[in-house]
Amino acid sequence: MFSIPAGAAMLSKKHIERVAEHVWEIPKTFRDDMRVPARLYADEDLLDAALLDNSIVQLVNAATLPGVIKHAIAMPDIHQGYGFPIGGVVATRLPEGVISPGGVGYDINCGVRLLVSQVSVEEIRPYLEDIASRLYANCPSGVGSHGHLRLSNTELERVLHEGSCWMLDKGYASPEDLDRTEEFGRIPAADAAFVSDRARERGRNQLGTLGAGNHFIEVDRVAEVYDQATAARLGIYSGNVAVQIHCGSRGLGHQICEDYVSRFQKTARDYGIELPDRELVCAPFVSKEGQEYFHAMACAANFAFANRQLLAHMIRQSFHDVLGNKIKHFELCQVYDITHNMAKIEEHEVGDRSMRVCVHRKGATRAFGPGSSVLPDDLRDLGQPVLIPGSMGTASYVLMGTREAMQQTFGSTCHGAGRVMSRAKAKKMVRGTELREQLRSRGILICAGSMSGLAEEAPAAYKDVSRVVEVVHKLGIGRKIARLEPLAVIKG
Amino acid sequence: MMSFEEIEHTADRAFRVTGHDMADLLENAAHAMQALDGPRPPGEPSATREIEVEGVDCESLLVNWLNEVLYLEQAHQLVCEQFHIDELKNHRLRARVETRECDRSYTHIKAVTFHNLKIRETSEGLEAEVVLDV
Repeated sequence: MFSIPAGAAMLSKKHIERVAEHVWEIPKTFRDDMRVPARLYADEDLLDAALLDNSIVQLVNAATLPGVIKHAIAMPDIHQGYGFPIGGVVATRLPEGVISPGGVGYDINCGVRLLVSQVSVEEIRPYLEDIASRLYANCPSGVGSHGHLRLSNTELERVLHEGSCWMLDKGYASPEDLDRTEEFGRIPAADAAFVSDRARERGRNQLGTLGAGNHFIEVDRVAEVYDQATAARLGIYSGNVAVQIHCGSRGLGHQICEDYVSRFQKTARDYGIELPDRELVCAPFVSKEGQEYFHAMACAANFAFANRQLLAHMIRQSFHDVLGNKIKHFELCQVYDITHNMAKIEEHEVGDRSMRVCVHRKGATRAFGPGSSVLPDDLRDLGQPVLIPGSMGTASYVLMGTREAMQQTFGSTCHGAGRVMSRAKAKKMVRGTELREQLRSRGILICAGSMSGLAEEAPAAYKDVSRVVEVVHKLGIGRKIARLEPLAVIKG
Repeated sequence: MMSFEEIEHTADRAFRVTGHDMADLLENAAHAMQALDGPRPPGEPSATREIEVEGVDCESLLVNWLNEVLYLEQAHQLVCEQFHIDELKNHRLRARVETRECDRSYTHIKAVTFHNLKIRETSEGLEAEVVLDV
């Protein structure tokens, strides 16, 4: 029942139709098991890059999920993952559509938070090394790191149910932080009754930790502003200091995904769901199993919101420690916090009618346009801020969500640069210590626990984030507001 | 001949593993996962853990077994070194793992995936390709 249909791996450019500038489609007729066409948003070079690995086959596989509507979509930062490609967006129609734990991924609510100050880079430059060292000391990073908080069972349960709201109660967040967080930092569907003891065990000591891999804290300079009026509304001014946090739900989220992918191996069979890849296992959203996963996933999402909130608190503390009696106005205000590995229940216009759907975004960012009722009052006329981190040592971008994204991509856009080179190859080609010195010579400080981990994240292993952003900007599924350049990077 | 080799994967880690039978495949897969994950601090095993794992078929048994090893390493801050499958019946296994305690967990792997997982019979036994999320 999990057989791969004939021709699955035989996809080439001849099977892909150009339907508009930067829009490519694999028609439903390509494979018998496709329920909708697959669409890739990319320029031709990014399409060619996607054809080098199995990412487009994975996109075609995602087009087979029961209840999928319109298209299985991939963003220009698409790259090979497992189950879904990274950069994938798939919406299933409710009530009959499915939810797929593998379509969300192991790092549930991996996301990005952006903080900005009203102080210029020139003012903090003499203290930059001290800031980087303090951030590295205060924000636990690397595999196996433990956070500063030791949570009791009751406290952990409150984190799972309340996310950033618990952080507000404890004095680690401001009401403004919550306003500027996707879902206001708390997904109400969370129910910890569906979170295993193992997941709790793995997460208990990890709140307020960065982890390893591609996760980071980065001190940035606002290098260029493309829309000054919008940027000013977000507190973003050219030349000022900004800080990004990229991390997720740590071992707790990994275990929840693992628990449900394992359990759904049987569940999918019980519901007679046939799939080309077992990592895509799923259950009807309204089924008992589907609901249990959704409640557990929401707990991991809340844990991740709380995790980035606690890291933001420690970053503010670090800035205060270093700059407190030296300069003024270094306070860090939150621009926004976005999630890029989630399944969400949303209303979207499909054809001429409004439809309730379960949108899976795996390595893709929600990008709601102006007027959306889920945005805070002060952003509703602007749309949702979208944060696109580049690879280490390269630019990052702030975009705004658009009405075009609502029409084309279920209110979604890209999430980063996207890898093009395997970790094994990157480690063979790049030495971590040399990379650190190269970046230092360009004025970028690196604090990292693992030199081999650093080599795996070398800029050469990624696509050019500027090119990815240019494609989404041209397509209108994200609008460029500002570009950030790195000054200091903290990694595990 | 090596019982495993790393396979190129753009974002994550993957390996191809062989075994002359299912127990051998399971033991070799655990070694393969450790080898790809990177070095552990040196030391002698200090305890033997008995673990039991089950799956709905051979593939899910393989994934659940590797995830069990990951769980021990991450949640209990252990290094797992030698793997002995003592009993294997109806997609259920009983194994002994030699372990030692560490100051922290050393694994970079988030989870073992089911991506395109199929255990194939070959002229020399069994073969599988496993993708790890890192």
